[in-house]
This record gives sequence, C-alpha cells and structure tokens, in this order.
Amino acid sequence: MTDLLFLPLLVPWLAAVGLVLLDGRRPGVAWLAVGALAAHLAALAVLAARVFERGPEQAVTGEWPAGVGIVVRADALGMVFALLSSAVILAALVHETLAGVGGRRFPALVVFMAAGLTGLFLARDVFNFYVFFEVAMISAYALSTYGGEARQAGAAFVFAVVNLLGSFLFLIAVAGIYHQTGTLDMDGVTTGLAAAGPNAAILIAVLVLVAFSVKLGLFPFHPWLPAVYIGARPAVAAILAGALANIGSYGVLRFGADLLPAQLRAGSIVLVVLGSASIVYGAVQAIGRRDSAEVLAYSAIGQVGYVLVAVGVGGAVGLGAAVLYALVNGLNKALLFLSIDLRGWLVGAAFAVGAFSVVGVPPAAGFLGKVVMFRAGVETGSVALVVLIFLGGALSFLYMFQLYQTDFWAGAREVGRSAPRTRVVVLVLAVLVLALGAWPEPLLAVSRDAAEALGPEGP
Amino acid sequence: MTLLVSVVVAIVFGSGCYLLLKGDLFRVVAGTVLISNAAVLTLVGAGFTRGAAPIRPFPPGSEVSDPLVQALALTALIIGFGVTALLLTLAARVYASSRTVDLDQLSQIEATREDELEEAEA
Repeated sequence: MTDLLFLPLLVPWLAAVGLVLLDGRRPGVAWLAVGALAAHLAALAVLAARVFERGPEQAVTGEWPAGVGIVVRADALGMVFALLSSAVILAALVHETLAGVGGRRFPALVVFMAAGLTGLFLARDVFNFYVFFEVAMISAYALSTYGGEARQAGAAFVFAVVNLLGSFLFLIAVAGIYHQTGTLDMDGVTTGLAAAGPNAAILIAVLVLVAFSVKLGLFPFHPWLPAVYIGARPAVAAILAGALANIGSYGVLRFGADLLPAQLRAGSIVLVVLGSASIVYGAVQAIGRRDSAEVLAYSAIGQVGYVLVAVGVGGAVGLGAAVLYALVNGLNKALLFLSIDLRGWLVGAAFAVGAFSVVGVPPAAGFLGKVVMFRAGVETGSVALVVLIFLGGALSFLYMFQLYQTDFWAGAREVGRSAPRTRVVVLVLAVLVLALGAWPEPLLAVSRDAAEALGPEGP
Repeated sequence: MTLLVSVVVAIVFGSGCYLLLKGDLFRVVAGTVLISNAAVLTLVGAGFTRGAAPIRPFPPGSEVSDPLVQALALTALIIGFGVTALLLTLAARVYASSRTVDLDQLSQIEATREDELEEAEA
C-alpha cells in the first residue's frame, strides 16, 4: 500500500495544473480548488493516521532502487507539518472564496503551494527538498502580489530577492553536503556528516541555519517580512504566516536535529540567543504599531523566536516543545490574520480567542505552547530563559489587547461591510483553537511522536 | 581545479552581491542571477571527477565522471531561470506603476504616498 503515499502529492499537483487554465474569479472554479484541497487534506489525514499508528512509511518513485528513484518518506514530524500547512491553506482558500476571489490565478497558486509544501515535508532527499521548497516559494512570491495595490509589487520584489538569496545559500549548502558525503539521501547524509571534518560540517550548518532563518523571518533576517504582510490580502498573509513559515520550523528541526545533531548541540547557544532576540524585538516593535496587520507581522517575528529557542534547548522536551509551538502558532496566525478585515461581536470573540492563544491563557491552545516552553526552560535550569518566556508572554498580552481594544471594542477603525458568511472560517478556527486547548492530549501525543521521529537527538 | 572553481565562484558571488547593493531594480535582478549561477557552479564543483562521459555502455576499465551533479545543476538552472522571469515581471510592474526603477526615488514616492494617506485620514 505505497500508493497512498503519493496520493497527497498527486492530487494538488494535477488539480493545480488544471486550475491554471481556468479563470479563478468564477466561484465554481474556486470551489473546485477547495474540493481538490479538501481531497488532498483527507488523503493526508488517512496517511497520517497510518503513520502515527504503525510508524514511518517509505516509497520510491517508479519502483526504482532507492538511491536512483526519488525517495518519499512519511514520518510523524513531516505529517504533522503537512497537515497543519494544508489545513491553514484550505482555511484561507475557503475564506477568500466566500469573500470573492479577485484574481485569475489565485486558486491555482494556492493549490500549487499546497503541492510544494507537502512534497517538501515528505521528501527524504536533500535536493528534492530544495526543489519542492522552490515550488512553494515561487507560489508565495506570485501570491504576495495578489489583490494588492501598486506598491505591493515593490514589497513582493524585496520578498522575492531576499528569499532567493536564502534559497541559493541553501543550494550551496546542498552542494557542500554532496561534496562531503557523496549522497543526497537524508539517512546517508546523517552518517556522512557525522564522519565529515568539523569545519565543513559547521559551514554547512551555518548556511542551512541562515537559509531557514530568512524563511522564518527571524530577527536579523526579517526586513522583508512586515512590508509583505502589511500589503498582502488577509488570506495571503494567513497562508504566509501559517503555512509557509512552517518551512523554516520544519527545516531547522529536520536539518538541525536529524542531519546535523552534533553541530546543533555545539551551536545551541546561538539558536537560543537568536530566538530570544527575535522574541524581544518582535514584541517591542509590535507594541509600537497601531495597524492590525503591522502588529501581527511583528508578532509573527516574535513568535517564531520561541520555536528557535525550543530547538536550541533540544532533547526530547525541547524538540517536542518546538513542534507543538510551531503547530499552535500556525493556527493562531491563520485565525488572527483572517479576522482582521471582519467586524462583529462573533469575530471579536474569535479574535479574542486568538489573542488569548498568542498570550498563552487557558483554555486556548496557546496555553499548551507556553507550558511546554516553560518546561523546556526549567529543564535547562536557566532562570534567564524562564524570565524571557514570561516577559515575551507579558509583552504579547500588551500588544494583542491594544489591538483588540482599538479594533473590536472601541471600533476605532471601520472596515467595509462584509457578508456574514465570510465569518464562518474564522469561527471554525477559533473553535478548533479552543478545542485543542481544552482537550490537549492529541496535540501533546502528536508533538511527542514528531520529536521522536527525529533520529539520534530524540529520546 | 577545485581551487580554480572556488576562485571563480567567489568572484561571481562577489559581483552578484555588489550589484545587489546597487540602487536600481534591474541591477538587483542581475545580481540575483549572478548569485544563482554561483550556486550552480558550486554544485558542479561539488562533484568533480575526471572521466569519460557517463553514457552506457561505459568504456571498460576507465572511470566515468559523476552524472548526478550535472542533473542537479540543470534542475537548479531551470529554477533560477524561472525566478529570474518572475523577478523581471515584478520589476516591470513596479516600473509601470511608479515610472522609475531607482530605489531611492521609489522610497521617496512611497514616503509621499504615506504622507498623503495620513493627511487624508486626519
């Protein structure tokens, strides 16, 4: 039963190729894209259920011997991120379809991004990882101009150039990996790099870290991020923050903990410092802003800092915390970005749920994220880290409720009226965030499994 | 040979960075192209082996050169080509709306636009 492994890849791929030919502004076409993504998500869910029950599955395309054909492998970590990304993309697409799609290519590009992201999370080969990564990124560059005014093209240009630099650095790292180990298969790379010279391995680790930091929008690598998030439509911002940023989290986890565990341990202090700088910088900048998209953009910079800190802490607790925090953060960002151009007390309540989740107040799912972060902090025995996590939470409370107050309570900023049906997706996401917080067992089990899937660094 | 490739990659990458820092959209695109080609050259350089062309049947008793890096380089070239086209489209769009590709002038236009927006709100 290896066919199921290719199904989540093939469905969006074929659907996207077909959708490119159609006019996405017609509601029928947009709903067709929604249907394709829903089928893709269902296939992923079935595959994920099997992976969590029986362990990782692997297949090689075209029944070639492994090493010649493209190896596709579904393990717990990849499945968690694939499910999250596809769910966020589906939510954003449904939201935009209900509000009315404004561009011919929007549905096709969104489905292409789902195909690229799924391929990336399933790839077991460093170079195919890069190829799928570019598929997802190119869709993102094109999507970031969607529905924007003229100045959005400028922001998209900066977005594309900065992220292309990151991609090329990653490609150079791939060349380095091949030169050092003579293979591109991730299992071979792990053993090969363990035997490689320390200088070469450190160089590769630094290149990989910089490449993924650019994708995540971590503090010194972030300048492209606010401009893109502010100018983009809410649905696109939700996709970028909730789905595309997962490339960075997954990449740091996969390449750090799985492929370069010795370098990760050696550089853990760098990750913790970078992540901490991001948390503080993002929160302080967000407090100083008034525009809702701007606040959320800086909040996104701060929130990914937690993921990096958790990876830096390492071990079973730290990696589990990183996975869980990335999951919760993806859902939060999707919920918050989708609700910024809607009004009404129901949306206000949904936004408050998202805000509570960012801050880490029970019963929202973000509470779990903060709990595992505190556990990771206590595990390291570092007082500074625990204080930092608390400080980050307090600052995020300040900016999230400033925003809630001006936008929903005082009603200081009016937005155009929107049809009541556009609120559906936001409400569903809010209920999901609450449900995951109230019934945390599945989320904890899934993130533990995902951390265990990470080779030598796992428990 | 490895040293030669490293020097060439360094020069191409450096020139790309230099262009990237210029205040002109099309120079930035050209810089990106150079950096992408530096990455492709690194890929080719990563698998240097001396030998016959890797086409079956292999000549007996002789080494064949590594075909994998060439396949990788081809794929990377195509991706680079695609993103260059995309970047040029974006640059053309910026030019169509602002009538300039100079980054200083673009940020000036941006600043005046924001001032106008703020005045309109006040």
